[in-house]
Amino acid sequence: MATDRHSHTEVSHEHPSAPSAGEVVEDLVAATGAGVTFRRVAYILGFLAVLGVVGVIGKAVTVGGDTTKWGYVAAVMAFLLTAGGGAPMVAIAPALAKANWVRPASRIAAMFSLIGIVTSLLLIPLLVLLPSLVVEETRRRSVWFEAPVYSPHVWGMMALVGLTVTGLALFYASALPDFAAMRDHSTGWRQRWGEKLSRGWRGTDVQWRSLRMRIGMFGTLYFLLLVFTHFLISTDFAMSMVPGWRDAIFPMYHSVSSLQAGIASVTLALWVARRYGGLERYLHLDQFWALGKLLFAFSLLWFYFFFSAFIVFWYGRANADIAFLDLLIRGPMVYGFATAFVLCFFAPWWLLIWNRLRVSVNGPAAVAVVVLFGLLVDRVRLYVPSWSVPGDRIHDSYLTDIPATIWPDAFDILTIIGAVSAAVLLMLLASRAVPAVSIWEVQQMNLLSRPVQFLRTHGVLVAKPD
Amino acid sequence: MQQRRDLSQTHTNRVLLNSQLNTPSWWLPTVILLGIVVIIGWVVIGFILNKGLGVTGLSRPVFWGLMIVTFVFWVGISHAGIMISAILRLTQAEWRRPVTRAAELLTVFSLLTALLFPLIHEGRPWRAYWYAPYDFARGIFPSVRSPLVWDPSAIGTYLTGSTLFLYVALLPDLGNLRDRTTGWQKVFYTMLALGWRGNPRQWKLQTIGGILLSALMLPIFVSVHSIVSWDFAVTTGVEGWHSTIFAPYFVIGAVHSGVSAVVTMMALMRWLWKWGDFIRPEHFDALARLLIVVATGWLGFTFLELIFALYTLEGPELALREMQIFSWPWNVWFIVFLLTGYFIPVPLWLFKKVRNNIAMMFWTSILVNIGMWLERFFIVVPGLARKTPFTFAWESYKPSPIEWFLLGWSVAWVSFLMLLFARFFPLVPLFEQKESQVFTTNVKIGRASVPAIIREQE
Amino acid sequence: MTTEVFGKHKWGMVVDVDRCTGCQACVLACQVENNVPLNTQERYERARGMAWIRVERYWEGEFPDVKARFIPILCQHCENAPCEPVCPVFATYHNPEGMNVQIYNRCVGTRYCANGCPYIVRFFNYWEPVWPESFRNHLNPDVTVRSRGIMEKCSFCMQRIRRGVRNAAKENRELEDGEIQTACQQACPTDALVFGDIDPDNNRTNPGRAYSMINDDRAYTLLPRLNTDPNVIYLAKVDPDREGGAGGH
Repeated sequence: MATDRHSHTEVSHEHPSAPSAGEVVEDLVAATGAGVTFRRVAYILGFLAVLGVVGVIGKAVTVGGDTTKWGYVAAVMAFLLTAGGGAPMVAIAPALAKANWVRPASRIAAMFSLIGIVTSLLLIPLLVLLPSLVVEETRRRSVWFEAPVYSPHVWGMMALVGLTVTGLALFYASALPDFAAMRDHSTGWRQRWGEKLSRGWRGTDVQWRSLRMRIGMFGTLYFLLLVFTHFLISTDFAMSMVPGWRDAIFPMYHSVSSLQAGIASVTLALWVARRYGGLERYLHLDQFWALGKLLFAFSLLWFYFFFSAFIVFWYGRANADIAFLDLLIRGPMVYGFATAFVLCFFAPWWLLIWNRLRVSVNGPAAVAVVVLFGLLVDRVRLYVPSWSVPGDRIHDSYLTDIPATIWPDAFDILTIIGAVSAAVLLMLLASRAVPAVSIWEVQQMNLLSRPVQFLRTHGVLVAKPD
Repeated sequence: MQQRRDLSQTHTNRVLLNSQLNTPSWWLPTVILLGIVVIIGWVVIGFILNKGLGVTGLSRPVFWGLMIVTFVFWVGISHAGIMISAILRLTQAEWRRPVTRAAELLTVFSLLTALLFPLIHEGRPWRAYWYAPYDFARGIFPSVRSPLVWDPSAIGTYLTGSTLFLYVALLPDLGNLRDRTTGWQKVFYTMLALGWRGNPRQWKLQTIGGILLSALMLPIFVSVHSIVSWDFAVTTGVEGWHSTIFAPYFVIGAVHSGVSAVVTMMALMRWLWKWGDFIRPEHFDALARLLIVVATGWLGFTFLELIFALYTLEGPELALREMQIFSWPWNVWFIVFLLTGYFIPVPLWLFKKVRNNIAMMFWTSILVNIGMWLERFFIVVPGLARKTPFTFAWESYKPSPIEWFLLGWSVAWVSFLMLLFARFFPLVPLFEQKESQVFTTNVKIGRASVPAIIREQE
Repeated sequence: MTTEVFGKHKWGMVVDVDRCTGCQACVLACQVENNVPLNTQERYERARGMAWIRVERYWEGEFPDVKARFIPILCQHCENAPCEPVCPVFATYHNPEGMNVQIYNRCVGTRYCANGCPYIVRFFNYWEPVWPESFRNHLNPDVTVRSRGIMEKCSFCMQRIRRGVRNAAKENRELEDGEIQTACQQACPTDALVFGDIDPDNNRTNPGRAYSMINDDRAYTLLPRLNTDPNVIYLAKVDPDREGGAGGH
């Protein structure tokens, strides 16, 4: 790339000598072993996950069917959908654009679809509580118009489960060659496991072609389902529970922030894999730099999508507009909003604009933590006030009385910690069952790119097969 | 994907400079013909200024009509330039190279055209300078609360930035032209080339300038059409306008129509100047793939816009949508809009044969722009025609022949400017073309020969 | 006369829908008072007619049990006017007397204010206004004749307000309630339109007629969901056939 030739000369990108294809297999299969620390961490996470179950049950026992008290559970469900659901897109979108850097990251990204299991489980109590379309013999405002009364429940669950299944299908389909590698290069249960799951993978032309086709198909389907699921969850579980909140951009805002969170979670997971998973040889600056750029772009988009809605409400000044501002921005959640604004937009913007931070391994990972926490707060500030609207006000043309701030109780905190721990535990367990960095992707990457000397500078020659 | 094709620098110079060094024979008659239309158009604009806006089909409450639609349309087209040259430059898409200049040019000229329409659409255009914080004798600063003050600022910034961008990218080619011309042309190009010698320092500055401008233009790119959309969206009183989705909806629609316009222009360039060696089917293929993604995103936004229009099930909004979608003659146009904007072109683009067929790409891209123009019409006019519950003020709108003529004239005007530019400056950047030759190569992987690109880092 | 005498009032109007017979006298009076151009048939057909106050007529019920409802609509002089912030050149703004005023000289004719107005009470001069020769001496000398290319709308008969306030100041007395009448109010045979000061402070000792009506049970404003906070208050129709008696528009 000529235009970049002069701009980043101070940064060194020396590729460590690429490992040979055989070394890649040995290393990555070996990395699936579980040490003592790993087991300890897994037990702790398992314990915390059980506490999460206690949290949900405790909530059900103490507040029962009072929907106004369930906001935090809805928020953590939305957060897991946001952070886990968006992550596989990191494996899909750059791959469709034939970007080479993404290859070592794609396995971890696809692995995040496992979190969909936790999200789906959390959705169950919420579906029970969700006010039905007809409340007090009046149809509440929703995207379901004249659809049967069971509509949001069935479709919401189907979308979420469909999303999870598609994500897992993508995960499995792209892991076939690696299962074959485990079959051929390991012993014990891993070998049997690989034999069973590789489904007779021999690496023939036909198999590779159908692999590519499957990845393309599941990837496209995943993206469409992701947008659709965000559309349903954001409207049914937040917007339509607030009278007068009509915000056409909101589902898109929800989806875009999900991509932002997805990039952040992949960055963080890569950092953990690199630091504690013994994968330094495979996860380089390239991945973190590219993800840092994406995170920067999506943090700006977060602001753009937020502001597109904000200015219309703020300038409009109709009663419903003012109620929106009062409920979600300057009212009970003003601190939540301010925190989310700083952590999702302002901090990433000013941190990642700094070259030394963006072009590093630790920088993007640190910002990823900031963004993930910001988005958790953002989901809280959106879902908790929405759920706190009493059921008998749900038909009003706009919200007249703004509910007071609802602080989390002990059970809410247990639920949040437990759900996140369960999600992390699932990821950790998965990384023992299959190499966390895709063997075949790394082999292909090494095949397709090689360092070259160009005039007086060093470059990379990247082949772009159709 | 760019296939490797060896083109010598001499060949590149000869073919890409053919318009400057030896003008094609079709050029003068075409320019004269377009020039006549352009002159008629300026006379018509003078007529409007003289007689007043009574000559349009506007009424009460349809106070904004075809000219505003056309304004939004041309601002949309202008998004092509930055999309192609800045975004694709930052994402290192190699196939952008031959079309960057033409896309930039389209940006500049369509913005000039877009600015004209709201101006002549005013009641007293000769007072338009009151928008600027200039006339201090009156002691009245323009109202910064008005989106109509944001608009000229955003578009003015965009126009300035695009012009700079165009000029910076033109410098190496101007130096090239200076060295190949004689007489008055040499003087002309010498002055414009600003002493370009092509030494490393100049290249470095030119590259940094290009990248800086790309990055600085990105926020402008997003903000311009967002601000245009807020002209409509901040208005509570008009059903169908007060929607939060407008800003990104307008931007993605603009990219859809702008990139399609670039495709149209590429086909014309390939045919008229016989630049088949440089503008090749794989460029159309890449743009069509990009367009499939953009168009599908745009369709999703359209869907959301409609769903959330019906969301509250309030009377006036339903009346508006009923007229827009079901009542004659809107219903026919609505179907035409959907077909031309998405359902004819995009399924066709899914076929590789279509993507690589220049004639098909030409016609489908024109369809997209018909659809996108209709989209803007569907946004601006029906909302005003069915504005509020006060049914006494419901109206329809029939544009006058003058307004239709000005719409057609705007196309002729932009083409005229483009052709005039193409006579004096190369439409395909020569240095980009040559750079691309240096940076692309073929590598052997196993038995296959695969095109490859040299990058600083991957 | 200094401007100090102005800005002490907050003007408003009460429209009693129950009294309105739809006779259109107000429309005609306004036309004459404010030099509004003549509405020829051609202008009406092109939907460019101007009437600063108009009477909308709605049919209610199914034949044969049909009722005609009338509602006079004029500029609502909103406190939160959607037309004001959108003007790039401050041609329309809120004056200290609670009125939404249009400054003809500043207007460049973007017509954005007219799009913003949900009541559709703003009018654009598409042509230069022309009066027949015989009308030349009938124009009101106190009111500007608007040229083409600018917006106009109800001014609450600004010229009458100014004269009334000035006269009171000149004679060194308080302005009396009902002393200032708008042209439409003056012409209304059923007294459906009442103009006056609706500022609570000015009505504390001696409440005016308009002020005493705005707190009526029947009082409502048009399109309240838009939060425009109009200074024109409507009193609902009293309908004996209907429960509660309030109907109106």
